[in-house]
Amino acid sequence: MAGRVLEAGLQLLDRQLVDRDGRLAGKVDDLELELPEGGGPPVVTAILAGPGALARRIGGRLGAGLEALASRLREGDDGRPARVSFAVVKRIGSAVELSVPRAELETNRLEAWTRDHLIAHLPGAGDAPE
Amino acid sequence: MRLSDLLGAEILDEAGRSAGRVHDVRLVQDGPVVGGFGAALRLDGLLVGRRAVGARLGYDRGKMKGPLPVKLLAGWLFHDGRYVEWGRIRTIESDRILISGTVEDLPRPGPSS
Repeated sequence: MAGRVLEAGLQLLDRQLVDRDGRLAGKVDDLELELPEGGGPPVVTAILAGPGALARRIGGRLGAGLEALASRLREGDDGRPARVSFAVVKRIGSAVELSVPRAELETNRLEAWTRDHLIAHLPGAGDAPE
Repeated sequence: MRLSDLLGAEILDEAGRSAGRVHDVRLVQDGPVVGGFGAALRLDGLLVGRRAVGARLGYDRGKMKGPLPVKLLAGWLFHDGRYVEWGRIRTIESDRILISGTVEDLPRPGPSS
């Protein structure tokens, strides 16, 4: 083994995601793995974050309920959990540092949807400072 | 495939004997280059065993140090821990993974770093 060795559960799962500006951007709830076209072992292609990703790890009725709730809250238009490509991962340490701002991440979808569809319709919402 | 598809799955050898469940997945950063991260994380193998406690505390990884009583207890709890290299995996099914060879062939997990 020439490269750095990591144990996914111990050193990656549940770690904090931190965006380019040092702002919190979710947690590592699951990993997406893909088999390379040329064959060989799978490689990690993305971090999955949010209640939709966490639900599968929890499992059972609680997990199914959480997944249904996340889908109901329109976590993604296609119902899949938020995906953060490994191409924007800068460093893995006690937190996972990203090279892009939080606003560009899918992990921000639920917050953006809640702002646009719920908060914006509340009386006085237009007076809130940016 | 997701990491959660592997974690917790039962490992069965060619004779149908169980080596326990997957407690963790070892990744090595030597795959194809992806953006600013550099080499991608490649799945090297699975840490498996019948008891999860020792593995969850990290005491199955060789270089983990004291406190001695905890290390001894965790080591005993994970004494049946084994390592399944990716090349030995034949089929991944829902909640179980079939491997080639026998449970006895599986090596002990080496240190991760």
